[in-house]
Amino acid sequence: MKKVLALLLAVMLVIPVLAACGKKADTSENTNVTDNNDKDNNQDNQNQDQNKKKVTLSFVHWRGEDKDAFDEIISRFNEKYPHIDVEQTIYTSEQYVSTAHTLLQDGEAGDVFTSFPGAQFQTIRKGDLFDDITNQSFVSKFNEALITAGLEDGVQYAVPFQMVYNQPVYNKKAFEKAGVDFEGAMKDWDSWLDACQKLKDAGYVPIAFPGGDIGPGQFMNSMMMNLEPDEGIWARVLSGEAKITEDWWVKTLAHFNELNSKGYFNTSANSLKHQDGINMIASEEAAMLATGSYAISGILAKNPDLELGIISPNPASEGEKVWDGIHNATFLLGINKKSNHKEEAAMFIDFLTEKEIASYYANTTGQQLTLKDVEYTSKELMEIGEVWGPRKTRTQPRFFITDQDVQNAVLGSIQDVISGTEPQKAADNAQKLIDEILSR
Amino acid sequence: MRASKKIGFFIIPALLIYGVFYVYPTVLSLFYSITDWDGVSPAFNFVGLKNFINLFTNDTIFIKSLTNNVKFTLSASILQFLFSLGLALLLIKNTKSNVFFRALYFFPTILASVSVGFIWTFLYAPNIGPIDQLLKSLGLEWMIQDWLGDKSIAIYSIAVVKAWFHVGQMIVIFVAGLQAIPKQFYEVAKIEGASALQTFRRVTWPMIAPAATIVVAYTTIQTFKAFDLIYTMTRGGPNYSTEIIATNIYNVAFRSNKFGYAAAQSIIFLVIIGAITFLQFKLVDRYETN
Repeated sequence: MKKVLALLLAVMLVIPVLAACGKKADTSENTNVTDNNDKDNNQDNQNQDQNKKKVTLSFVHWRGEDKDAFDEIISRFNEKYPHIDVEQTIYTSEQYVSTAHTLLQDGEAGDVFTSFPGAQFQTIRKGDLFDDITNQSFVSKFNEALITAGLEDGVQYAVPFQMVYNQPVYNKKAFEKAGVDFEGAMKDWDSWLDACQKLKDAGYVPIAFPGGDIGPGQFMNSMMMNLEPDEGIWARVLSGEAKITEDWWVKTLAHFNELNSKGYFNTSANSLKHQDGINMIASEEAAMLATGSYAISGILAKNPDLELGIISPNPASEGEKVWDGIHNATFLLGINKKSNHKEEAAMFIDFLTEKEIASYYANTTGQQLTLKDVEYTSKELMEIGEVWGPRKTRTQPRFFITDQDVQNAVLGSIQDVISGTEPQKAADNAQKLIDEILSR
Repeated sequence: MRASKKIGFFIIPALLIYGVFYVYPTVLSLFYSITDWDGVSPAFNFVGLKNFINLFTNDTIFIKSLTNNVKFTLSASILQFLFSLGLALLLIKNTKSNVFFRALYFFPTILASVSVGFIWTFLYAPNIGPIDQLLKSLGLEWMIQDWLGDKSIAIYSIAVVKAWFHVGQMIVIFVAGLQAIPKQFYEVAKIEGASALQTFRRVTWPMIAPAATIVVAYTTIQTFKAFDLIYTMTRGGPNYSTEIIATNIYNVAFRSNKFGYAAAQSIIFLVIIGAITFLQFKLVDRYETN
């Protein structure tokens, strides 16, 4: 009897472990019965869907601020396709970078998923986790020039959905009060410094710089764009042909040092987080926030009375100016190659790219999109489009640093300078790390 | 024989869990440490001892992480040890107020480390943070620092948090040790005319050696492995000044996708932790025997 009891106990302990290791059972059919009872049977499309097998799509991304907008879109999608439920799972961007490729691997999560361009896109592509979407009909709805971040060797693996400008957001009233002219501030480096001084004199922190998280990776783009206008520069650094000890990067670091030492950044710039930077500009303590257009909706949520725009320094002379600003096509939508619901995943992306849905998403979240046909009604979005659409903007240089260790070394040199290290020494230290990384 | 067989049978589930979640990944790490696997691709190459050689000859960040680990472990452990012992001596009697204070000091231990990280990031926040505000209100502006942004002090700022986080736990161990000392020893010391310091040196300290052993061993290993606090508060920055081995392994494996290299780092880390633990127990054992 004792033996039987012991055996039973052991079996009870082992079974849950084995069951947890097993594949998740598809419970969607049970859900189907309940859900379909709740649907309105009068709608034609729903009637057609009644007979289809219930599917639950997993959609993973990193934009927590878009949750409500996606909830609404998913609800509309579910009205159109009652047999498809979409489960939205959101990670922080930091967590997403480190875990996305792992969670996609068994095909259970992320039927539709997102990716950052550059290093993360390459990692997922090397892992053979992107389904080829070249021939999907929704691809033609995108502006061809803006979806190259998801293209490799002629195959479209993903489509960037958002178009962001990775350059400072500014408070128009603060500029007006300080007597700073928008166009004049962007003329050359001296005019940028002059604008910062005027803002400081008017009682503002000229630039809120979140050096504690995303600040260096965002502001480095504008700060280097015309000091080394060649878009192939980071590829040359990665191949060892170019060094960051050269004049263009040392000068970039010197400019960071100048902004910090003259008090144009907030104090303790290396520990400010993006959210605190948003608070600084929303409370009108700071006149600019050195991140990107994607921060606008968050700032306006805290202070809807602000009038915001985007601006970029020209770190070189007027004659050397090649680029006006920085753009990036991001939030790449892809279909998991290991998914069992690829057809439904494509239907969801197709739905997201419909004019009405895309316009709703753009205006609710304050994001410019890469689609050809979107109707912007938000004042800020329309204005950004009008002001920056015709200008010559460069694809965010940071995303061409496809080795994350090298990227860390580059961004570390900015923090090093803000901590008080001489620009040349900071560049030397970072180049030493890059040489080590490339030689391994 | 039959009884021991039966007892052995009951440890099978625990062995299974330990084997699957500890032994198997460790063996697997050993295997991957001699490859260039990126953690995603199905294919990889064997690189022999290249990863290990690079770690010690061609990786400034790994060496810096190791140095930071030593700084962090020493400062956090010393702070934690001194504060917990000092507070335990003050709170030794089982009065109502002492029990209340022990519970109060123990409270942070039950918090999740990520929450502690966020709370202290806010406390340390430049300008708006309560620490800077307090210093300003006391007229001590000159003491205000960029607590987490200055590369020369950031690691120590986090060490303070680590000490605060676990000091209550160590107080409990010390109080238990102190309360176990027979009162007669103190009475004899008093009759002999020993001063407070002499009583502590000759009676208290030798008698709480076992408790001190536990505290030192626990704090050293815990601080050496610290990951969550640092990751939440600085992510190893600014410019690697708070990067320790655990965060470095995480970054190399999950952000840079160099799993093979990170596996080699983790093997070295395992050896270091093992060596410290062994050395510590040997030293403490010798001390206790003497």
